[in-house]
Amino acid sequence: MIAGIDLGTTNSLIGVYESGFPTLLADEEGKRLIPSVVHYGPTILVGQEARRMQSIHPNLTISSVKRLIGRRFGDEGTEGLTGTPGIPVTLPLDGGLLTPEEISSEILKKLKAIAEARLGTEVTRAVITVPAYFNDAQRAATRKAGELAGFTVERIVSEPTAAALAYGLDRLQESAKIAVYDLGGGTFDLSILQLDNGVFQVLSTHGDTQLGGDDLDQAIAALISSLASLPALSISDEIRLREGARSAKELLSTEEQTTIRLPFLESGRSLEITLTRSEVEKVCDPIIRRTRMHCLRALEDAGIKSSDLDQVILVGGSTRMPLVQQLVAEIFGKEPNLSQHPDEAVALGAVLQGAILEGNLQNVALLDITPLSLGIETFGGLMNVIIPRNTTIPAKAGEMFTNAVAGQSGMKISVLQGERELAADNWTLGSFEIPFPPAAKGVARVGVQFSIDADGILQVLARDTGTGAEKIVEIKSAVEVSDEAVEAMLAGSLEHAFEDMDARIFTEARLKAEEMLPAVESALEQLAAELPADEAKLIRHQAKEVTAALQGKETIRLKKALTNLDNATQTLATRLIEKAMKTSS
Amino acid sequence: MDPFSLLSLPRRPFLDDEAIGSAYRRLAGALHPDQAGGDAAAFRELGEASAILCDPSRRLRELSGSLAGNQLPPQAADFFLKVASILHRSDSLTTQAATASTPLSKALLIAPLKNLASDLQETLAQLREWHSSLDRELHQLDRAWPESDPAALNLLADSFAYAGRWESQLRERELALEALLS
Repeated sequence: MIAGIDLGTTNSLIGVYESGFPTLLADEEGKRLIPSVVHYGPTILVGQEARRMQSIHPNLTISSVKRLIGRRFGDEGTEGLTGTPGIPVTLPLDGGLLTPEEISSEILKKLKAIAEARLGTEVTRAVITVPAYFNDAQRAATRKAGELAGFTVERIVSEPTAAALAYGLDRLQESAKIAVYDLGGGTFDLSILQLDNGVFQVLSTHGDTQLGGDDLDQAIAALISSLASLPALSISDEIRLREGARSAKELLSTEEQTTIRLPFLESGRSLEITLTRSEVEKVCDPIIRRTRMHCLRALEDAGIKSSDLDQVILVGGSTRMPLVQQLVAEIFGKEPNLSQHPDEAVALGAVLQGAILEGNLQNVALLDITPLSLGIETFGGLMNVIIPRNTTIPAKAGEMFTNAVAGQSGMKISVLQGERELAADNWTLGSFEIPFPPAAKGVARVGVQFSIDADGILQVLARDTGTGAEKIVEIKSAVEVSDEAVEAMLAGSLEHAFEDMDARIFTEARLKAEEMLPAVESALEQLAAELPADEAKLIRHQAKEVTAALQGKETIRLKKALTNLDNATQTLATRLIEKAMKTSS
Repeated sequence: MDPFSLLSLPRRPFLDDEAIGSAYRRLAGALHPDQAGGDAAAFRELGEASAILCDPSRRLRELSGSLAGNQLPPQAADFFLKVASILHRSDSLTTQAATASTPLSKALLIAPLKNLASDLQETLAQLREWHSSLDRELHQLDRAWPESDPAALNLLADSFAYAGRWESQLRERELALEALLS
């Protein structure tokens, strides 16, 4: 039996496929929604009991740990934590340092215990959901959490995809384009899918892993603070205020106004304040509006217009807010579909994915995608995409690289994930060195092959074939790939290796030209009055030469022209600085 | 691998996106490794074939048998500097906007951002016009098929590659500008 788990920022759920239906399982109090809170006291508490301890022992109680999973110190979302930038996040707890995956595993252990108590049998296999926009490190850490809890993790599945499965189960004969708008406690995803006779094909996804109900709570708490002129609060009071803000937010989804009472704050005073829905909506609006751009980008990537969509499905607890529903209607130009249970659809979808894997749910196939492009850093610090975003997984792609410098005796391969042109702006998933004997330029050859499995987890294989001595270097748990497969890949790309290299150098030069030409133009314009005519003429001549080389796509000529332009414009830069100094003084 | 025959589609310049998508889903649904009788290698190959057919540039190169894009089409040359300069302006203004911390410095950026947005829309409209003319050429080549000139196929393939990439780059900037100005 494979359990389906929604490991949420705020709440988590577990379910199984029973006699042909997905069923969510409740704890001894009859609750299916288990708060994702862990308390490290004399014993470890999880769920409602842990939540009760949060304001009493804030330093021993962790909530929203999902926002930290797979992150390094210095990443967005880790503000307020102390640690060396670049090192995976750990939290000081339980007399030591705990990783987010260790803390998450406590939540998963609790869910496992609930399922086992309810079913009377051991539950060891699971499908766990993650936000669609989670990167590789976040997915791998979630898988690790599952393993630490004693599960064999059969699949990591994206939350909106799971929700689409729950929505589409009753509509297997149909063909439709849908968007799933998933605004949860800590993350936002927008995925667009094509449903076609039991096949669920994800076309595109966009999102923000640091945008959710938590941010709304924080904004409402700040509003209360300022309305009531609260002084700086202790951590415990801060947590109580946040809880007050959360319950006000929830009540205001149905009421027009609500009163928050927080008696006996540690600061000595008691708080009682009435908030109206419109006051709260005013501070929440800019946060919710941030989802708009992701929606438009997802439509763009799917190559469709919002009018092509048959349904916009809402899931995630935060979509209960009337303001969210209004904004979605505004973005897509149609009323959202509220047929799915906002808290349960994702978990039900996880259960259904488990049923597909077990063969209990036939004629249903889920074709998911990788949300972020994958590539390696190449010569010049650029990102070389090997598998573009929105590629259906499993997928595999490879490319051949040669040494750029004569006498080079190794190549550093940095594996990147992200959408930015500059390597440094993307996530580095790992890096390793492929050594080879010193070789003349272009003689050493390294084949790099990327393979994404159905979980969206990447395996990278690199092999040096320049000398005939082959060597496989793997990062993470790369599987063995047959020699024949690598040979075939090499044979296919070897002949293009030199062209590739030339193309990269040209691209690099082109980027520089794209930067130089407009800058030169603007500098000439600004300095038109004071620049000697012959100097301006020389610079224009050099710039024309760059343009001509660009248009002719001549790499060597372009590099030379750029160097000349660089030299010719050195005095321009000095003049500009002098002019700026004069104007400002 | 012949992507056309893998997807059981006619080997010709024009193919309807919906037809490619539905042929792909019909086959991929059965080949996905989660399915009984699924085949991961065949699934990946099908995905690659579908990606080639969905991209007019790659589809045309598949037909002409030529791999690399070696020519800069004359119209692409016209757009090259225009697009490059807008991308450059856009990226530098976006960076400035992201680092602008005082209301005054933000206010100062609004006029240039608006100018940029209107230039961008103008260029984007021209690019789209070009793209539509490429679509018309594609239909012409398709009607003449298989008597089409391979050189014309390659030139059109290169044009599609530039038009598509620039259009998506500009569209991306347009969305970013819209967010800054809203």
